[in-house]
Amino acid sequence: MSQIVEQLKSLLGADNVITKDMTKYLRGGEQPAAVACPGTGEEVAALVKAAADAGVKVNVGGAVVDTTGLSGGIAVVMKRMNKILEIDRNNLTCWVQPGMPHKEFCDALLKEGLYFPPEPYAVSTSSVAGCIGIGDPDSKAFKYMPPRTYIIAYEMVLPTGEPMKIGSKCIKCVSGLDLIHFIAGTRATLGIFTKILVKLQPAPVCRSIVLADLPNITTAAKAFLSIQKRRLFVSRENAITNKLGQHIWSGAKGAVAFVDIEEFPKANVEYAKIVEAELKIAGATATKIISDEKEYASAELGWLKAREAVNLTDKKVRFTVGASNVVKGLDAAKGVVGALEDGEFALIEAQLGKVTVASANPEADAVKLNKAAMPLGGNVSGLLGSKLRCDEYSDQAMFDNITQLLHNIRKEFDPKGILAPGIQF
Amino acid sequence: MTVAQKTDQNTLVEALINIAGEQDVVTGRVAMYAYGYDATLLFGVPRAVVFPESTQEVVDIVNYCRSTGVNIVPRGAGTNESGGTIPVDNCIIMNCCRMKKILEVDLDNYVAIIEPGVVNYDIQEMLAKYGYYYPPDPASYKASTMGGNVGECSGGPKCFKYGVTRDYIYGMEFVTSDGKVRWVGGRDYCSEPFYDITRMMCGSEGTLGYMTKFAIRIEPIPAAKRTMLAFYNEPVDAAQSVADIVAAGIVPTTLEMMDNLIINTAEDATGAGLPRDAGAMLIIEVDGPAYGDLDDQVKTITEVVKKANPKQFKIATTAAEVDACWLARRVAIGSVAHRAPSYSMQDITVPRSEFPQAVAGIVQTSKDYDLDIGILAHAGDGNFHPLVLFDQRNAEQSERVHKAEAALVKLALDLGGTMSGEHGVGLLKKPLLPNEYAPVTIDAFRKIKRAFDPINRMNPTKIFDL
Ligand SMILES: Cc1cc2nc3c(=O)[nH]c(=O)nc-3n(C[C@H](O)[C@H](O)[C@H](O)COP(=O)(O)OP(=O)(O)OC[C@H]3O[C@@H](n4cnc5c(N)ncnc54)[C@H](O)[C@@H]3O)c2cc1C
Repeated sequence: MSQIVEQLKSLLGADNVITKDMTKYLRGGEQPAAVACPGTGEEVAALVKAAADAGVKVNVGGAVVDTTGLSGGIAVVMKRMNKILEIDRNNLTCWVQPGMPHKEFCDALLKEGLYFPPEPYAVSTSSVAGCIGIGDPDSKAFKYMPPRTYIIAYEMVLPTGEPMKIGSKCIKCVSGLDLIHFIAGTRATLGIFTKILVKLQPAPVCRSIVLADLPNITTAAKAFLSIQKRRLFVSRENAITNKLGQHIWSGAKGAVAFVDIEEFPKANVEYAKIVEAELKIAGATATKIISDEKEYASAELGWLKAREAVNLTDKKVRFTVGASNVVKGLDAAKGVVGALEDGEFALIEAQLGKVTVASANPEADAVKLNKAAMPLGGNVSGLLGSKLRCDEYSDQAMFDNITQLLHNIRKEFDPKGILAPGIQF
Repeated sequence: MTVAQKTDQNTLVEALINIAGEQDVVTGRVAMYAYGYDATLLFGVPRAVVFPESTQEVVDIVNYCRSTGVNIVPRGAGTNESGGTIPVDNCIIMNCCRMKKILEVDLDNYVAIIEPGVVNYDIQEMLAKYGYYYPPDPASYKASTMGGNVGECSGGPKCFKYGVTRDYIYGMEFVTSDGKVRWVGGRDYCSEPFYDITRMMCGSEGTLGYMTKFAIRIEPIPAAKRTMLAFYNEPVDAAQSVADIVAAGIVPTTLEMMDNLIINTAEDATGAGLPRDAGAMLIIEVDGPAYGDLDDQVKTITEVVKKANPKQFKIATTAAEVDACWLARRVAIGSVAHRAPSYSMQDITVPRSEFPQAVAGIVQTSKDYDLDIGILAHAGDGNFHPLVLFDQRNAEQSERVHKAEAALVKLALDLGGTMSGEHGVGLLKKPLLPNEYAPVTIDAFRKIKRAFDPINRMNPTKIFDL
């Protein structure tokens, strides 16, 4: 192992290969041989090639790396590759390095009157590459589409160490198979980003947040349903139970509803009025309409912190139901995990029909919640959800077929099984 | 044809009839010729055309073809512009047109479950009754199927604001060459089984598997819309307006451009009163909530367009006027038939900022190869459909057309673009793929193909060779 560490030191410079006090870069119980901080795409390629030749595992992160399965391997931290390389106003695109902190990226663009809609997965540590790599449809995805929509080109080092480029500044491309958008959500199993081109939008002309303090999260869901029935679609239609809701509205007595409106000025005013009225009708004890930029930023940051807390715990079950069935989804969740207001958190992203609840026994609860969600037009999210759906139909063959395909793809790209060892299908 | 092959043919046809029924198997010479074409000028002859009506029939056909070494070319309406459905060696055409059920429409949850043979227009018509729609609508939407739309990841006039087919597919069922059925994704964006298999299937041109069901996202029709029509002296003036509208923070639904040649062929076809001396025409459409913001956007757009000295600028005030604005665009492609018996339609796409250079390049190509080239463009997307007019019976002219096609692709790539924004590669552009991608990228495509279809049975030789 010391051989690969020495090799990395000669490739990246000794200062950029850390073998002591690595904890701040790591998440998880296992111990890699080194944390490597490459500064260029060429260095990433050389590093991966060396690891592949030596049969050493590699995982990557913007600021923090998951160490599952990485004992004796290399944790690659992209903190040195953290810059915006080019903002192209005419084409509404931006080349960015993978380690650029996601929130910093969004803020820098907003200052230029430009907008990258996807939300950070974990606001204090997420990078732009993490956003695409995780690919999680965030709470703005109903209006703006999921993060995959925003990647239009990238440079990547494949698990063999070969650099690969794909895409251009065109917002439409069907030349060849769609490895451009497919890469979202692959979590570094197929390669390590070294440069990313995202498409942008003009910054919203007008933004407001409507906050409401409600007796419980179900009342928020009822208000959201009324808003949807009026065919009024907003940027975010979220609510969270009291404990994490404090991040957004300190002192709120109940669940906090967080509705974000990004429309042209007249619609913005009208939408905010309607949303506030519906929340009051549903039983809000207090409401606020926030339009001031600073207050907006602070409420948004509060929401992102609450989101981070939810995203980073394993003690949860996330499932979807049809957008009009969120109230029923919450009722089902109560039946499984107990009173939602008493738990650590319950969160709804209503337009997406997404419900996340804290759970002491996620595996067992996921089975029950999936069963409840399916008749409501949803299921538990991700690969686990696919498995549970197949189980519900007693169709093990279908699930085997799906996982076989995932294995085939991964094996084609990473025959030696070098990258992202913590990800197992 | 040898006796041995003939026996094989009989066995093949018999097997297909056993699976799909006699009425769903076509082997007549004339009919097979019809399925030998698509919207390109390429041609091939299949061994049979079969119309499965259920996923099980698809599985049975795929299993039979695998065991006998017969290739499968998936097909919808055959309107693709890339040679994607042209029969290949020793193949059957598997046509999804008779799997055309709309299985479920769930308006409250913004999702519909449909079979691949459903024609795009039929979904729109059905949804419109409830005030809903499915945003991607390629100009061929009256004929093209959802199987084909997803197969090509089709675009259309609304992509700039609403995106392309890929963005509206929540999940799908498909059958791979090993006869296995998979349902991936769900009724929302959160249900992919780790890898986003649905996205990989979109635009895969039938090379990875045969799609049998889709969950699509549907939406309420926006409350208000405004349509405008501008005529300019030169295409670059239209390009300037496009850039200025976007710079003003407006994201229009539509920015469609036609040049002088197409204005004239459209006028020949419709007699709609288009100014024949205009250098370019731009259709601009904005939509959104009905609280008056659209009127402000129209004001901004009016000012922006004026800066480019238009010959005419109209704001449609009635539904009939909106239709009149669109009429010329709708007939544009077909209208060139008045000028020449054949056309080659390209699909080059450039970064929006390169729009004027691309227009100049197309004009230059027209001169260099002494060919009439009309320009139709989804201008907001930088996506051009140069229509090269010619007579296929003239071998020398056809040769020049092929050279002009390659020159147009080179033009797009030199401007940092791509050879295909929405029509796909198929057979037509396959030889040019190495001009766009390094070997390592094409090899990555091969890895995906091998993962899905290691025996290379699904639409082989399309896009790239395995
Ligand atoms: C006049 C005209 C206007 C057009 N306008 C546009 C436009 O605005 N935007 C645009 O993007 N395109 C446009 N096109 C191109 C074409 O219409 C689209 O590509 C369309 O989506 C093809 O649909 P189809 O049903 O004809 O599919 P086909 O041409 O039959 O097939 C297209 C591809 O999909 C595959 N396929 C079909 N069904 C399946 C299935 N069930 N499973 C797996 N693969 C399958 C085929 O193998 C093929 O590769 C236009 C074409 C014409 C002729």
